[in-house]
Amino acid sequence: MPPKQATLGYVRPAQTRLGKFFGKRDPPVQQKLALSPRKRHAQLNASGEIGEGKDGVIDDEGKQRSDVASDTSPSKKRPHSPAPAPKRTADKGSGSIKAEESGEDGLHDESDEGPIAKRPKRTPTASSDIDDAASEGSEDVKPAMRRPNGTTPLSKNKPAKVKAKALERKPKLKVKEESEEESDAVPNKEGKGSSPATNDSPAESESEMIDEEPDSEDEGIKPEAAEKARETVQTLLESKSKDPYPDWKPGEPVPYAALCTTFALIESTTKRLIILSHCSLFLRQVLRLTPEDLLPTVLLMINKLAADYAGVELGIGESLIMKAIGESTGRSLAVIKADQNEIGDLGLVAAKSRSNQPTMFKPKALTVRGVRDGLMAIATTQGNGAQTRKIAGIKKLLSAADAHSAGKGKGVDITKDKGGASESKFIVRTLEGKMRLGLADRTVLVALAQAMVVHEISKEGKVPTTEQLERGETILKTVYSELPSYEVIVPAMLEHGIFNLEEHCKLQPGVPLKPMLAKPTKAITEVLDRFENKNFTCEYKYDGERSQIHFVSPDSQHQYLSSVPSVKSEKGISAIFSRNSEDLSKKYPDILAKLDHWVKDGTKSFVLDCETVGWDLVEKKVLPFQQLMTRKRKDVKVEDVKVKVCVFAFDLLFLNGEPTVKKSLRERREMMKQTFEEVEGEFGFAKCMNTSDLDEIQTFLDESVKASCEGLMVKMLDGEESGYEPSKRSRNWLKVKKDYLSGLGDSLDLVVLGAYYGKGKRTSLYGAFLLSAYNPTTETYETICNLGTGFTDPVLQHLHALLSPSAIPSPPSYYSHSPVPAHQPDVWFPPKHVWEVKAADLTLSPRYRAAEGYLDGVEGKGVSLRFPRFLREREDKKPEDATRVRDVAEMYRRQEGVSKGKDGGGGGGGGVDDDFEY
Amino acid sequence: MEARLEQALLLKRVVEAIKDLVQDCNFDCNDTGIALQAMDNSHVALVSMLLKAEAFSPYRCDRNIPIGINLTSLTKVLRCAQNDDILTLKAEDSPDTINLTFESSESDRLSEYDIKLMDIDQDHLGIPETEYAATITMPSAEFQRICRDLIALSESVSIEATKEGVKFSCAGDIGNGSVTLRSHTNVEKPELNVEIDLAEPVALTFSLKYLVNFCKASALSGSVKLCLSNEVPLLVEYGLSGSSWLRFYLAPKIGDEE
Repeated sequence: MPPKQATLGYVRPAQTRLGKFFGKRDPPVQQKLALSPRKRHAQLNASGEIGEGKDGVIDDEGKQRSDVASDTSPSKKRPHSPAPAPKRTADKGSGSIKAEESGEDGLHDESDEGPIAKRPKRTPTASSDIDDAASEGSEDVKPAMRRPNGTTPLSKNKPAKVKAKALERKPKLKVKEESEEESDAVPNKEGKGSSPATNDSPAESESEMIDEEPDSEDEGIKPEAAEKARETVQTLLESKSKDPYPDWKPGEPVPYAALCTTFALIESTTKRLIILSHCSLFLRQVLRLTPEDLLPTVLLMINKLAADYAGVELGIGESLIMKAIGESTGRSLAVIKADQNEIGDLGLVAAKSRSNQPTMFKPKALTVRGVRDGLMAIATTQGNGAQTRKIAGIKKLLSAADAHSAGKGKGVDITKDKGGASESKFIVRTLEGKMRLGLADRTVLVALAQAMVVHEISKEGKVPTTEQLERGETILKTVYSELPSYEVIVPAMLEHGIFNLEEHCKLQPGVPLKPMLAKPTKAITEVLDRFENKNFTCEYKYDGERSQIHFVSPDSQHQYLSSVPSVKSEKGISAIFSRNSEDLSKKYPDILAKLDHWVKDGTKSFVLDCETVGWDLVEKKVLPFQQLMTRKRKDVKVEDVKVKVCVFAFDLLFLNGEPTVKKSLRERREMMKQTFEEVEGEFGFAKCMNTSDLDEIQTFLDESVKASCEGLMVKMLDGEESGYEPSKRSRNWLKVKKDYLSGLGDSLDLVVLGAYYGKGKRTSLYGAFLLSAYNPTTETYETICNLGTGFTDPVLQHLHALLSPSAIPSPPSYYSHSPVPAHQPDVWFPPKHVWEVKAADLTLSPRYRAAEGYLDGVEGKGVSLRFPRFLREREDKKPEDATRVRDVAEMYRRQEGVSKGKDGGGGGGGGVDDDFEY
Repeated sequence: MEARLEQALLLKRVVEAIKDLVQDCNFDCNDTGIALQAMDNSHVALVSMLLKAEAFSPYRCDRNIPIGINLTSLTKVLRCAQNDDILTLKAEDSPDTINLTFESSESDRLSEYDIKLMDIDQDHLGIPETEYAATITMPSAEFQRICRDLIALSESVSIEATKEGVKFSCAGDIGNGSVTLRSHTNVEKPELNVEIDLAEPVALTFSLKYLVNFCKASALSGSVKLCLSNEVPLLVEYGLSGSSWLRFYLAPKIGDEE
């Protein structure tokens, strides 16, 4: 945790926690309930705790407590070790010590809610919560900051609410289990524990007043949503109209635990509306208490450190994370790897791993800001020993995670609620870049808009109307699509308000926007149906890399705040971004170097949407995609460029200081033609034709395919609908691909040779398979592709059951496959099963061996399938009846792009056509 | 604050011993001496050091000054000192830098360095005085040897103190091993004594990686004191000249690997 964040205030709680220092072993208490083997620990722990409690907040029985209280408070603790011994035996186990202790605390009225309330939701952590809460309850220093407990009036509601939620969300059985557990732990409280639901009504209604309005609006937001869905939301909102995490002190950093609580809630559902309401509720709370933490909160929600184009990457892989988990929890790497294979989610592994190695004093609780700073520090660590320092950074975060629950021998119970609100789980997932929450970026955006509107309107003491909410959403969506950078938008929004956002945040060169996408179609007639009676135009769909060129001339008056450092220079801005907003300037320096060839003088600034295509200088024609992909990704030097590229522009989004996205396509095209001039082999306009005649379109399509294009783009030409809609897959743009029309005519029948263990959803099944074609001449099976799509879950289960018994440790000698270790499947099978597979395309790859001997002039590469898709099992076929490699070679040769290319289309190993939609 | 140390070696070794555990930390100076307390990143181990005023000659410090320093930087500067140079530390009342002067004891060479300080907001943690169930004093070299030998086999060591003696044992993939020490008095060389002071038998498991790290302090003192009690951190103490000390605490491991 960065030094900055701590304040003196922390010190006291930290010291109090000293109790936990030795009390860190209180967790076993919980184990005690569950796991008899740990009994001894548990007891000992309880005894350990006694000595250290500082402010008389000891986790122990009342009498012990009071006598310690009287003599320990301000100074250092006194030696205490012998005292506990008798008690240890007296109480049957620390479980009961706990119970009594919290019962004791219950006497301080409010503090009792903390533990109980938390129980259902964060069961795994509960036992340590209890004593935390207890200590804060009486100490009252910074309660909200550290732990959810009952010091603020709002939290009064928690019991009611959480209870309600527990009932809603959990299977009945679990609830029952839990309440049993609860009663175990808090016997004399049990009655109270459940009663607050009804009894606390004064406090509850108080908070409802705060939150109710917004929530009632939430439903209004989706007028179009089905009635049923709305009802669900409504009941949901009613039952939990308060924040799931109690308020922290206004102005203080948002506790990370609060965010995790929300994450856990989100994870527990798959319903979008409910996810949305959780998000929005939490953002509202952040806005109300600590608006300056809104940006880090939002960024952590979408799991990005910075906007994509800033190129900030954590640069850590699974193995690094595993190492860090191992080091901070004292488990060996092998055990963690085994866990990972079994569980398939490092986040859960981390949660589970807490912790055989208890820590000394409790670290400070994590804050949202602190987590983000920590991640940023990890991301920006470079140079000597970067790996070690990155691991140190991760360890720092991990050891501070779950401060409330750390040290229990067993860690978080990951079988319950997917690990619940465990901080380490979410930190690791953040590090992995996979949150697995089902929280779409879009949802965060909407939630943010709602939260902002509600926040602003309710500041004036009014209730926001449905229209206002809708308007806020639209505004934010529009602004974000044109300027996808929360770093710019969030501060502007906080300063000027959401309703004035459009004036302050506009499309600007230097900040890449998400490109507009086209809807796929199956036939030209479909196109005609869509554009009937409209003006539309057809363009070649070049098979290259979608790019956005941003340019601001050095003499431009206007200053644009680009957060991309590499792009900014004294020469203004000139940069190329990918469709995913990554900075491609280092990949295509040759394009940038030639900008002045085709940009007419006097152009101040522009943003151009285009396709970058490989260009054959000799034949003067477009090269296949596979060859473009052979270019280096980074640090390309202009003079080393082997594959020349040509830019085909088809849209203009910004020109001379003004966004043009709202203009019609006809106007934009006109402006584009005035601003740029074609230079052969460097820059061209996408070839287009305005027609509505079916035959002409068909001819045009055929021509486009002959010109090595993918097919056609058909676009609305005039009117409002022809505007540029960033980031949308719009029906105003349609694509007609040759793949869709003809595809790769036949499917292939391939033999399964091996499989890879699945991850995530496919944990404990096979995630992908290694397939092969048959070579009858040599009687070998030659690998052709990995296959991971086209399976339904039941099919995967079936295949796993079918294949796993026959797994063999190593490949038979008659398999021809890549010897590279990274290319080996996790398990091998004897050749037995034949599957029918369909693919989009054939390509060459050094990773596979199919048809190796049948291709002229190609060494060390086999034919592979692009986008293979599982169709069905062919039980009727024997492995020897599988598709022969000769046929594969033939199919490859037949392929348009290849048969026309002189050299057979190079080798685009692993070239990824990210334009393809399944 | 001004403190003069007859031998730079002392500070060099202290910093050398802890710099792998802790990157940045505060040296808290007050009229009784210089204290340091810091935990490693994972909060598993804690270093605590006290250099009492008597260790210096002279020592002057009028108010409490925290000196936040990056230990890597400090190491770099301390490398510039000869072992028997006279080292003087100087800092203002609310310092931005700390000044180190090395005077050669033989020649008239005088070198002077300033290190920029950092603002480290560190909790000061009260470490409870504990009556340990077992206190073992042994030659520091012996302890170091045990740790180094056993880490070859396993990641963790279990230390078991009984009235028979103290047994360090470990089990790893390749096999297991143990070292047992009994009370032993060497009249001629008292620094080789092994003393075991036992109130009740204890057995705890610790991460060897940390212990090996602690052993870097072996050069500071001929003997080391291990204090154990069930369910509390292990205390490893190296006595320094006067009644100053360097202590390491290490949280025990719970349970076995499942």
